[in-house]
Amino acid sequence: MKKIFIVGSLLLMGVSLSFGQAKKPTLMVVPSDVWCNTNGYMMEFDDQGTKVKIPDYKKAMQENADILLVISSINEMMAERGFPLKNLESAMKSLASNSAEDNMMASKGSGSGLSESPIDALKKTAKADIIIQMTWTVNTTGPKKSITFILQGLDSYTDKQIAGASGTGAPSFSAETPVLLKEAVTAHIDNFAAALQTHFDDMFANGREVIIKIQKWDDFDGDLETEFEGNELGSIIEEWMGANTQSGRFSTTDMTENMALFEQVRIPLYNAAGKASDARDFAKGLSKFLKEPPYSIPNKLVMKGLGRATIILGGK
Amino acid sequence: MKRIINKASILTIIFLAFTLVSSAQINKKKKANEDTENWRYEIECVGIGKPGTKVVKVWSYSKKATIAINQAKKNAVHGIIFQGYSGGAQGCTSQKPLASDPALEQQKAEFFENFFADEGKFMKFVSTSGDATPEPMKVGKEYKVGVVVTVMSDNLRKDLEAAGIIKGLSSGF
Repeated sequence: MKKIFIVGSLLLMGVSLSFGQAKKPTLMVVPSDVWCNTNGYMMEFDDQGTKVKIPDYKKAMQENADILLVISSINEMMAERGFPLKNLESAMKSLASNSAEDNMMASKGSGSGLSESPIDALKKTAKADIIIQMTWTVNTTGPKKSITFILQGLDSYTDKQIAGASGTGAPSFSAETPVLLKEAVTAHIDNFAAALQTHFDDMFANGREVIIKIQKWDDFDGDLETEFEGNELGSIIEEWMGANTQSGRFSTTDMTENMALFEQVRIPLYNAAGKASDARDFAKGLSKFLKEPPYSIPNKLVMKGLGRATIILGGK
Repeated sequence: MKRIINKASILTIIFLAFTLVSSAQINKKKKANEDTENWRYEIECVGIGKPGTKVVKVWSYSKKATIAINQAKKNAVHGIIFQGYSGGAQGCTSQKPLASDPALEQQKAEFFENFFADEGKFMKFVSTSGDATPEPMKVGKEYKVGVVVTVMSDNLRKDLEAAGIIKGLSSGF
């Protein structure tokens, strides 16, 4: 009897835990392109005749103490709110060391190395579900100095700004830039956290907003205009989306014979089994639906973080 | 006998006067508390404090200046929870209230009644700024007094989160 009671309690606990915890997004603070460009932390390369500039975060981290102060202050204040952030510098170092380890890894039995496709290599970047992009400029008027500070919370998948805080601090004759920067972070972090909280509240009320994309392999003999019982495959997928999204909320941004793009797709935070769900978990349902008769379309599911999934029709 | 009667009369008069004065004080205090509940105060930012704190000036109303000064702390905490403030000079940025739901005060009435009781828990999260003297102004029949106070907003937020009154950033994850 005692054993039954204990097992029952553990089961109940498990069920309540799986219902209680949605997938937590990761956040990371990065300097904006504008800041990197203004301060000379850019890399330039030739992309088939076009000069392309991209931010050099590594150089910025190694040479600019102010950025460390700002990132560390924001990280500190967010951790204090129970939401520790990924640290850009540590993420870049981990990437480098993991890459070196992967290159050296060999199977004990066969001596074989780790397999890595070009897409795997491309995905090896410092990433987070929400990027906190910061910019600051030091304004000088005669001997007076002030700081204009901008914090933007950007969803990595929907490209939407989900939180923000900005403003210019009080001008000062004597305070040094790091002091003004710390003051700016202190002044803005509460509003930023409040905006983020509003975003999370909306997510809990209306579901997670994700992007779902449908594409097809070149050698697939059908397309999104292929008809099944008088309905085009694209419309069938739209119907499935309507039936499975939270309150049927999604927008069809693009629909051609080769691809479909669904934006503002609101998915439930938990799936039918009560487990925390994300874009990949949601798209798995669609993938399975398409694999089954009458469609019987083999497909490949590719994910990107919590908020983006792509189904490629026609094979794995 | 006459002396005893005189003494008794004097004592009665003193007692009555004392009762009237204290009753008037209680009434004024009650009125000040009602003003807080009705959000009859003004709150403005006076500077960026240390991390985790907010330095604000609170303007409270009362027929007695001392009551308005004492009510300032309660009004400041009330303001940080329910009202927030707009930006101003000294690099102040506008701040949203800790409670995102305007109806929270009514929904959790019992909690806030105890929290804002005289000498209640709110006192833990506020202190008057030592170098700032109150600024009383006579407005009609009452005083409007501005007092600079420091609210330990981070501790206040954590306490309200722990009590389940407001949601924390990580709640639900």
